[in-house]
Amino acid sequence: MFQTRNEYDRGVNTFSPEGRLFQVEYAMEAIKLGSTAVGICTPEGVVLAVEKRITSPLMVASSVEKIMEIDSHIGAAMSGLTADARTLVEHARVECQNHGFTYNESIPVLSVTQSICDMALRFGETGDDDDDDAGGMSRPFGVALLLAGWDPAEDGEEKTKPALYHTDPSGTFVKYDAKAIGSGADSAQTQLQENFKSDMTLVEAETLALSTLKAVMEEKVTSTNVEIACVAPKYKLYTVEQVEAVLARL
Amino acid sequence: MSTWSPYDMNGGTCVAVAGADYCIVAADTRLSTGFSILTREHTKVVTLSDACVLASAGFEGDRKQLHKVLGMRQQVFAHNHGGKPMSCPAMAQMLSNTLYFKRFFPYYTFNLLGGLDKSGKGAVYTYDAIGSYERTGYACQGSGQALIMPVLDNQLKSASPLLYPPVSSATPLTEAQAVDLVKDCFATAGERDIYTGDAVEIVVINRNGVRRETMPLKLD
Repeated sequence: MFQTRNEYDRGVNTFSPEGRLFQVEYAMEAIKLGSTAVGICTPEGVVLAVEKRITSPLMVASSVEKIMEIDSHIGAAMSGLTADARTLVEHARVECQNHGFTYNESIPVLSVTQSICDMALRFGETGDDDDDDAGGMSRPFGVALLLAGWDPAEDGEEKTKPALYHTDPSGTFVKYDAKAIGSGADSAQTQLQENFKSDMTLVEAETLALSTLKAVMEEKVTSTNVEIACVAPKYKLYTVEQVEAVLARL
Repeated sequence: MSTWSPYDMNGGTCVAVAGADYCIVAADTRLSTGFSILTREHTKVVTLSDACVLASAGFEGDRKQLHKVLGMRQQVFAHNHGGKPMSCPAMAQMLSNTLYFKRFFPYYTFNLLGGLDKSGKGAVYTYDAIGSYERTGYACQGSGQALIMPVLDNQLKSASPLLYPPVSSATPLTEAQAVDLVKDCFATAGERDIYTGDAVEIVVINRNGVRRETMPLKLD
């Protein structure tokens, strides 16, 4: 394996002769080590659910934060190097506030996703050319995000709409009805594919999200080792009691 | 000895009227300085999108720059937001910020933004030179303001924006009635204000898009 990748996996912005960027591909591998996160988009709203790895009974579970609010109508679930996600989330939050300041309206989810992905590819820039990229990342971000949000009505449409986007370290983003990321992504994605229905209710989506997590998690699912949030149409992180209520339906 | 000024006052009058499903933005086409007419056919109105039109009176140099800046921002916004142009309320806030960012060397322009909001209702936004703005049912700016505004108040008198529960500020007139009223206003202002005349350009925004028409005014 290392024979073929010799030399070309050193520099972050050097293509291999086969046309690959190994550092970006390795960053994608980092996500496959991360805890599983799922997102499901329904007409009533978007549900995000993540697994939290509580490695010690002495750990305070509530201090592990894997779903974050970006704006009052957008939330993000993460998998991979969660510390990297903080940089992206911070950037997205600023982008949202700027949009609100300039246009007095909430930012479309697509635009936030786009701006996060713009940042994802700003690694390996030297930063000595005095532009605003100075002090950027020296490597790709090792994190994938699921962005759940609520979009304003388009012109001529009455209804506002929920939206779910997936971003990865290569700066690619795709809109999904339902998506799983992290170590259990493959089997979780199969489960979602089998059980997703386009006319699901939010309650059904909560149940599907948690039962999908349950199937791929090594530990038993409890109200402390999963986190759930929804955007319907405002972002809301579930309390322990609300998570228990969903658990009771499994 | 007179000192040089970066500003000039080129005159001109703008009127905007919002209805339930339309908005009218109108401005005369005369460009003056002092007792001279520079040109009789110069537009003060720019179409920023299918739902958004801006008219500005004041200093022509600043007006031109402002309209170019907004046109550019509109295009960049569309590129960054999936090809969709800024809504009229978004443009209104953006214009306010653009004006305020030049708080200490202002654009010497008096602006009226008209268009349709996201629900398709007519909207008029009126500004001062440094970006303070308000959404109203009708407004008038520029050299003929003092002549036209009382007529609009008399004919339209929209509900106070402070009422609770909120009452629509849109005027009850039909589109054709409102166009007639705007024409009368300009014909009248042209009689008394030397900076208003030559022609009035009337832009009507409704669900079918943006339509422009022109009516001649007195040339004196």
